Amino acid sequence: MTSAAHEPPDDAVSRGPGARAPDDRRPRSVYGVGEEPDVRFSLANERTALAWVRTGLGLVAGGVALTSFASLAEMSGFVDVIAAVACLAGAGFAAYALLSWRRNERAMRRGEPLPAPTGLPVLVAGVLVLALLVAGYAVTEVWRA
Amino acid sequence: MTSPARDPGLQPERTALAWQRTVLGVVLGSLLLAAVNLRVGQPVLSVLAGLLAVATLVPAVLRPPSGGLPRDGVLRSWDFLVRVASLVGVLGLLGAASAVVSLV
Repeated sequence: MTSAAHEPPDDAVSRGPGARAPDDRRPRSVYGVGEEPDVRFSLANERTALAWVRTGLGLVAGGVALTSFASLAEMSGFVDVIAAVACLAGAGFAAYALLSWRRNERAMRRGEPLPAPTGLPVLVAGVLVLALLVAGYAVTEVWRA
Repeated sequence: MTSPARDPGLQPERTALAWQRTVLGVVLGSLLLAAVNLRVGQPVLSVLAGLLAVATLVPAVLRPPSGGLPRDGVLRSWDFLVRVASLVGVLGLLGAASAVVSLV
C-alpha cells in the first residue's frame, strides 16, 4: 500500500491489469480495516473455518445417527435428548466458524497476533460430556439387561 | 491471485478440496436425515431434509467455490462461508426437530 504508486506490483498485491478496483467485499468489518494479507494466509483461514463447519456437521451427523438408532431400535427418550443437544451444538459450531473466521481475518489484516481459539475448549468439553452421557446410558442398559 | 506462478503449497487446491468435502458432508447428512425420517414415518421432515440436500448440492455444482482464484484477484470467502454454515445450522435444527418428534 505504501509504495504501490511507483513500484511494479508483486504477486501478492497485483490485481490484474489496470488499477486496483475499490474493495467492495463484505463484511465491511473485515475488509474495511487493515491491509490485504498474503492470500495464502486468507486461504488457510478459510480452510480453518471450513474445518469448524465440518466439526459442527460431524456433531449434527452424530445426533442424526443417534436419533435414528433410537427410533429404529426403540431406545429410551434419553437418547433422543442427547441427539437433539448434539444437533443444536453442531449448528452452534457452524456459527462459531463464521465468528472465528471474521476474528482471524481481522487480526491478520491488522497485523495483530491471532486471537485464541475460544471454541476449542468448549468443543472438547462438549464432546466429552456427550461421550460420558452416551457411555452412561450404555452402561445402565447393560446393567438392566 | 492473478499470479501465473503456482503456489508450491497448493493452497488454492487444498481450499477447493476443503470446500468439496464440506459440501459433500452436508449433502450426505441431509440425505441420511431424509432417509431416516422416511423410515420412521415423518414425510414432512424427510422432504425438508431432501430439499436441503438439493439446496446444498445444486449451487455448489453450478458455481463451485473454488477456494481462491477468483476473476478479479481478491478472495470472496464470506458469502460462501455464510451459506454453508447456514446450511449446517438448518441441518442441525432439522435433526433436533426429528429427535424431538421421535421423543413425543
